[in-house]
Amino acid sequence: MTKEIIRLINLTKLYEKDTRPINNITVSMNKGAWTSIMGPSGSGKTTLLNLIGCLDSATKGSIHINGTEITKLNRNQLTKFRRENIGLIFQQYHLVPYLTAVENVMMAQYYHSFVEESEAVDALKRVGLGHRLKHVPAHLSGGEQQRVCIARALINEPEILLADEPTGNLDQKNGEVVLKLIKELHKEGHTIVLVTHNPDIGRLGDRLINLIDGKISSDSIINKMKYGIIKEV
Amino acid sequence: MFLRILWKSLSKRKSRIAIAVISVIMGAAIATALLSVSLDVGEKVGYEFRKYGANLMVVPESDTIEVGFPGVDFGSVTEQRYINESDLWKIKTIFWRNNVLGFAPILYQVVSIGEGEDEQNVVLAGTYFSKDIEIIEPYSSNDPLIFNTGIQEISPWWKVSGNWIEDQNDTTSSMVGINVAEKLNLEIGDTLTIRYYANYEELTNETVYNLKVKGIVETDGNEDNQIFVNLQVAQDLTGRNDKVHMIQVSALCNACPVDTFAEEIEGKITYAEARTVKQLVSAEMNILGKIEDMMFLVTIVALLASALGVMTTMTTSVIERQKEIGLMKSVGAEDKKIVSLFLSEASIIGVIGGIFGYIIGIILSQFIGLSVFNTSITPRFEIIPIALGISVGITLLASALPVRRATKIEPAIVLRGE
Repeated sequence: MTKEIIRLINLTKLYEKDTRPINNITVSMNKGAWTSIMGPSGSGKTTLLNLIGCLDSATKGSIHINGTEITKLNRNQLTKFRRENIGLIFQQYHLVPYLTAVENVMMAQYYHSFVEESEAVDALKRVGLGHRLKHVPAHLSGGEQQRVCIARALINEPEILLADEPTGNLDQKNGEVVLKLIKELHKEGHTIVLVTHNPDIGRLGDRLINLIDGKISSDSIINKMKYGIIKEV
Repeated sequence: MFLRILWKSLSKRKSRIAIAVISVIMGAAIATALLSVSLDVGEKVGYEFRKYGANLMVVPESDTIEVGFPGVDFGSVTEQRYINESDLWKIKTIFWRNNVLGFAPILYQVVSIGEGEDEQNVVLAGTYFSKDIEIIEPYSSNDPLIFNTGIQEISPWWKVSGNWIEDQNDTTSSMVGINVAEKLNLEIGDTLTIRYYANYEELTNETVYNLKVKGIVETDGNEDNQIFVNLQVAQDLTGRNDKVHMIQVSALCNACPVDTFAEEIEGKITYAEARTVKQLVSAEMNILGKIEDMMFLVTIVALLASALGVMTTMTTSVIERQKEIGLMKSVGAEDKKIVSLFLSEASIIGVIGGIFGYIIGIILSQFIGLSVFNTSITPRFEIIPIALGISVGITLLASALPVRRATKIEPAIVLRGE
């Protein structure tokens, strides 16, 4: 039985000069589903991801995640909610330059709860970086840095993974490695919301939402089973 | 993990941290130096002032007229009131005895010099030049029993041609004021004849003394018109054994007010009253106050400059680390964790700056002490916590705005891909 995990109701984000990167969107996403969000530059994809990821606040409307209306939370509550429920994968990895791969992962543990180095090591081994634990980001390739970013996103076992162009800065080979990882995480039951420009990557998900000018221009279900349209046999 | 982040964050930005530390060192060094000097300067300036003469006059309790020192009066000669020479040692038995740098008794007598028509009156002052006094009942058993004192000790500013009278039993030598010497064409080594009349009105009962001129005194004051001899000579001449008219006391006033000395001396020599030389004491206090005010202001300016240096460095650091801060927030760091990271960095900068600032400050204080006061400044370990407190306080204060700025960073904005 599928279950709704993210629900956006009449969501609007208004910036100055009356620009609306998100304009009255109502949509829900199911638990365990991979939702790809596509659209041209400036269509509001990243803004939507930031709103779901508690990194930005809505101007109007509401966001419900796992039954919590996060639009009613203050800054610190949003931070706590994010670290408990959401893992973030950035296009530009955003690793702390002076910390090693394993320390970057441990940092997420530290801000979440307790630091357990062996768990951080395991997370890096899982993304194929067991041999690069003590390397600082400057000594890692782009693909390796993105895998550290994924390990960091996973370390606190969030239910939802938000990925903003995770392969945008990678060559094809490294992009495939990263996508393989994301597919594995999807299989394991993580709910994934992935923003991409690449239609091939977009179609890897269970659902594909297209945004234009902050509005949903199309919404297609690719894997009907995840959305309860057909029953799993 | 916090310490690991803190350590790596500091060690990867050594040059920035060094600039902040140098700013703190400068502030802490100046604060330490001026604080050290200021704690010592009272005493040092006090000693400097003591070169300009006595600041206390002890006279017999009586109705008085002003004689000798502007603004200072002592017992009238005509009233024939005296202090006993045998009580002088008591001045060195007060609680603040160690601050009594010296004293000199004086017995005045008008005598005649010259002969015939040139005969004229002049004041003869009997005093101690440099005499060992026995302290009969010391205040403490640890106190020395002999105290060397005299006019030479308390009036080092006198300009003396020739020599001081150094033998305390010398009854044939004198030191004459420059005006007396000029009037009588006296030179060092000449013999001066003085006449004392027991009955001055009728000029009878004459006693004649021949004194060798050992030194000529120039002070631009009343001393230029006087003749100085050992106290014993004046006492013998006038038959006033054991008597003195007044005692000039040089007291080092730093921790205690000079009035306290006066009260204590009056307690020891009960028939005397001690009076402060108000102009000297108030000038001394005034200058001390001004020096301390100036040092306080310089310290404030140095600390402000130091705070500005730290603030600039911390602000730059926050700007440079916006993405890092945004990232920390995005992975769950609450504001208080960001604040604690930056304030811990600031505290470390403050502690390092404080320690080095203290060391450099002590060296600087020696330089100030030697070049301004010709003496070294005692290093005071009690300043260490003050220096550290000031340094850490300044860095924390200077970090307040940059840290506030760090908490305002929006991860969504700084982590944006563009």
